[in-house]
Amino acid sequence: MRGADYIVKRIVFALLTVFVAITINFALFRLAPGSAVTNLARVPHATPETRLAIKRQFGLDKSKWQQYWIYLGQLFRGNLGVSFANSQPVSSNLRTALINTLPMVLIGTVFAIVLGTLTGVIAAWRRGTKTEGASVTTALAFYSMPTHWLGLMLVILFAGVLPTGGMSNEFLLNPSFSTHVKDLAEHIALPSLTLGLVLYGEYTLIVRSAMLETLGEDYILTARAKGFRAGAILRRHALRNAMLPIATLIALSLGYIVAGAILVETVFSWPGIGRAVYDAVLQRDYPMLQGAFLLLTVSVVFFNLVADLLYFKLDPRITT
Amino acid sequence: MSVVLQEPAALDDAVPVRSRRGIVWETVKRRPSALVGAGLLALVIVGAVLAPVLAPYDLHEQVGPVFGRPSWSHPLGLDDGGIDMVTLLMWGARISLVVGFAATFVSMVIGGAIGVTAGYFGGKVDTILMRITDYFLVIPDVPLMIIVAAIWGPSLFHIVIVIGILLWTSTARVIRAQVKSVRERVYVKRARSLGASHMRVVLRHVLPQVAPLLIANTVLTIAVAIFDETALAFLGLSDPSRISLGKMIENAFQRAAISTGAWWAIVPPGVLVAVIILACSLLGGAIEDALNPRLRVAHLSARTFRLRPLVGRGPEAL
Amino acid sequence: MNKRWLAALVATGALIALAAFGAAARSSGSQSGGTFRIGTSSRIDSLNPYVAFNQDAYNTFEYVYPFLIQYDKSNSRFVSDFATSWKPSNGGKTWTFKTRAHAVWDDGKPLTAKDAAWTINTDLKYASGGAANAAGLVAHIKKASAPNATTLVIKYSKAPGNVLGQFQQLAILPQHVWTKFTAHKGNDLKTYSNSPLVGAGPFKLVKFKKNDIALFQRNDSFYGEKPKADGFGLRMFSNEDTLVAALKAHEIDAIESVPGTAIKTLRKSFNIRTAPGVDQTDFIINSNTKKTSHRELLNAKVKEAMSHAVDRKQIIKVVFLGYAKPASTIIPPATGAWHNPSLKPEKFDLALANKLLDQAGFKKGKGGIRVAGGRKMSYAVITPTDVPSTNRTFQILQPDFRNIGINLTQRALDSTAAFDAMTAPDNKYLKFDLALWDWVGLIDPDFMLSVVTCAQYGGWSDSGYCNQRYDKMYSQQQLTPNQAKRKQVVWKMQKYLYAQKPYIWLAAQDAVWAVSKSWGGLVPSPQGPFNSINKLSLTRVHQQ
Repeated sequence: MRGADYIVKRIVFALLTVFVAITINFALFRLAPGSAVTNLARVPHATPETRLAIKRQFGLDKSKWQQYWIYLGQLFRGNLGVSFANSQPVSSNLRTALINTLPMVLIGTVFAIVLGTLTGVIAAWRRGTKTEGASVTTALAFYSMPTHWLGLMLVILFAGVLPTGGMSNEFLLNPSFSTHVKDLAEHIALPSLTLGLVLYGEYTLIVRSAMLETLGEDYILTARAKGFRAGAILRRHALRNAMLPIATLIALSLGYIVAGAILVETVFSWPGIGRAVYDAVLQRDYPMLQGAFLLLTVSVVFFNLVADLLYFKLDPRITT
Repeated sequence: MSVVLQEPAALDDAVPVRSRRGIVWETVKRRPSALVGAGLLALVIVGAVLAPVLAPYDLHEQVGPVFGRPSWSHPLGLDDGGIDMVTLLMWGARISLVVGFAATFVSMVIGGAIGVTAGYFGGKVDTILMRITDYFLVIPDVPLMIIVAAIWGPSLFHIVIVIGILLWTSTARVIRAQVKSVRERVYVKRARSLGASHMRVVLRHVLPQVAPLLIANTVLTIAVAIFDETALAFLGLSDPSRISLGKMIENAFQRAAISTGAWWAIVPPGVLVAVIILACSLLGGAIEDALNPRLRVAHLSARTFRLRPLVGRGPEAL
Repeated sequence: MNKRWLAALVATGALIALAAFGAAARSSGSQSGGTFRIGTSSRIDSLNPYVAFNQDAYNTFEYVYPFLIQYDKSNSRFVSDFATSWKPSNGGKTWTFKTRAHAVWDDGKPLTAKDAAWTINTDLKYASGGAANAAGLVAHIKKASAPNATTLVIKYSKAPGNVLGQFQQLAILPQHVWTKFTAHKGNDLKTYSNSPLVGAGPFKLVKFKKNDIALFQRNDSFYGEKPKADGFGLRMFSNEDTLVAALKAHEIDAIESVPGTAIKTLRKSFNIRTAPGVDQTDFIINSNTKKTSHRELLNAKVKEAMSHAVDRKQIIKVVFLGYAKPASTIIPPATGAWHNPSLKPEKFDLALANKLLDQAGFKKGKGGIRVAGGRKMSYAVITPTDVPSTNRTFQILQPDFRNIGINLTQRALDSTAAFDAMTAPDNKYLKFDLALWDWVGLIDPDFMLSVVTCAQYGGWSDSGYCNQRYDKMYSQQQLTPNQAKRKQVVWKMQKYLYAQKPYIWLAAQDAVWAVSKSWGGLVPSPQGPFNSINKLSLTRVHQQ
């Protein structure tokens, strides 16, 4: 009973936060000074009919309160306006951009999780030795590097070997499936590697910290006293209990990673959601900006919720 | 409030910090890396502060060809304007550090004020303030920074404000937790019962206990602030009239430094930024660690230490 | 140690290794067999000829649309494109063109002189509305008609002096496609996305992703010389580093406009072709006499002082690495006789600049910044992000201007947003003060001279300049059939603008191309091989 109670409470809180995000998004873009910002119907080179339709849809000539109401209604219907840059609906632009970003982010995150867990475990296991020192220092070093700078370093290293820009080779007309896959793999390698390297450092530290905490528990001492081998202790007890903070912190990070990867996408000209935000800013494409910002905020809330629920599921202490 | 983003553990069983020397000693004793961090940071700060005096060449003077190679007179070569890289690094560090410190100061003031208020008064005030904090935690900061820099215009002042108003959340939460525990202590209760005003109690009794933690948090925040400034500069949104380390990277990138082979224009600024962030992380983490009361002993190894990562402000700035 | 994680780690590493191996194993030649791949850091801002203002868009139009006239290989004489012959009559007030027979559009419909007549008449009708971009090209035309499918008759109100030069720039559009978009005083012309693009050039546009790629395939039903290559592509990069890296990695075959810093490294394995160019960078001063703020910028002495604070030598050295010449006037030297050689670039003299500003009565105030009309002489300079030279140029200008008491701040915007900011509000040019940009001219001077006419408000004008006397001279040069006399007028106009200074001209860039050694046959021009001057280069380019 208590479990369902908790889940419901978290979901309600998440929804509330989303609502606040939606409201603040509205305020940020409609109430900011300058008529250019509020006049979302000013789609360049659009027909007067299009402009009128948008004006009517979003009630841009009505009072702010009415606008807000209409804004919520349109949001419900998935209408985020029309992009200034290519006169396409913002929602479809965002969808394409998101689809482009996700594979790159996922591969990078998986790499970071794997490498981070590995090095974190090693560091905790070999605590007090040079291995730990090296592991932690390397993790900290990568964690401290500016993301875009690291990307540029990789470009220097791999120039000529791997493509350094774009998602695929646009000049390939009707490529075979294997060629296409190889092409995509080549292009996704460096951006996801950059993302992975920057992320893994923090994961190493988190995993190590969680492991150390668990390794200090009494039942570990007991297991040791009973004569279990270190490996078994690690696997069966320590790691499993360390999974909790690890999993939740990873879920949290995901929310923020999707919130851009702006720097990586700018370095590698990756046509994803980070680039979309950046291009929208340069081109003063306000409908896109508003839509993208909302999407990013919602994604962070969503992943926070996932992290909370994960935590709840994995932590036996909460249910009672 | 999110259970996962746990409230930072309050230092209930901590030995009250009695003297400044005690804390420094504790820090260094436990984590020698703190010395490394402090040393590096001090070196960079000195170099940056003394830039007008120490810099070998003039900041705007072209002393050689575009992307001139490293040589004895120019150990790190020249940038895309023919300006000496070592000079640029010193002045660039100056701006980057100024932005970092200023933004951190803003966030410290806001976060500290909110944290103290929430922790001290508790109840409804606490709930409201924490809800606000939670919301700010959830805003994707780099996109917001980009938008604000674009709408307001990219000046140093705007950048500092923008970074500052996004970083205060972690400070607020850390301070709040600590204030909450301090408030319950005997000497605080006694002071209140003797009729001391809230202000007096906060200033005389709460703040000194909170200060060390605030310092640790500040150092860690500086790291993030400098990172954010670098990111904004790379995206072309920092003040174009000041050269910061981030701007140096952007300039080189814009002028095809990599494909021209002019690695010296792009590698050193990034290394310097990484060094500064690393130094701050080491130092801040070590101070935090020294304040940690819960001495964890791992049974599989001899030594003890623990690092508390900067939750909620690390990877999202990607 | 847990084997599962080790396996995952290895798998990830394998993915990366596989990609690297695959890349290394890839052949270094072109993967698309006969497609000439060009890389650029600029972009095609729009496929609509009534909207576009980036040079790459016009280069594209040259290769997908029929034009009556084009330049020959020497870039100085007019030869046929869609028109096969032409004859003036009636004292030069009537021109009769014979056009090609049996020509077709991409969709199979016939291409005849009627399409040419329709395009001209439409541009005439909506010259002050949606067709503003083309208004200059149809000046003084009374009416165009096509008595039959291969004859085009143009009637002028006065005998013009540059008929062929004008028609070299006018793309003929398919009437059956565009006739639906003339409502709202022709403003609908600007709303049509022009996709799919129905043209009739040596190439056909088959793929277009804005800011990304434009792919063209050989058009075998083209009425003229057929291309040797299967097609060509224009790949747009967001910065020059990835552009040069792509050339070095053989992902593209050529770069138009090589960044100066990369020329030395590329020379080793690529053919570098340089030619004096018609691309001039400029410092734009908002000269709208109706502007409301910072009216001191309308003061001739102020403009003159500013022109003495521009260190062209430094700009050429640092920004263009020597691959440019100092510019002085709106018509670059590469156009030959049209350039007025008596106009020299203003001398770089900060002391003189300071003196002039002191004389004009603008004293230096707090922080060394002069005050004009109670406000600081502090201006935002708009710079388009897709013109890479503007950043360093600004960084060179800023300290020098500070020295003479003028504070400059940079406002970087995407070119569309930049142009928007300059014409705001509603093409009234009231809000901006200064900008840095560039102009790519043609050989015939008419186009460049037209961009500062009053008629180009909301069209080509980026300076808000509008002057009746200048407009009179502009008409005069258009209506002077005698080329020598016309040249006199053109020189006079340049001298007039030199004094008025809506622009301070900075540098005339050399057209620098880098081409892979496996391709040859490109025809050079002041605009570079991919240009809006003729259809020759990409038609004749071939693998060798």
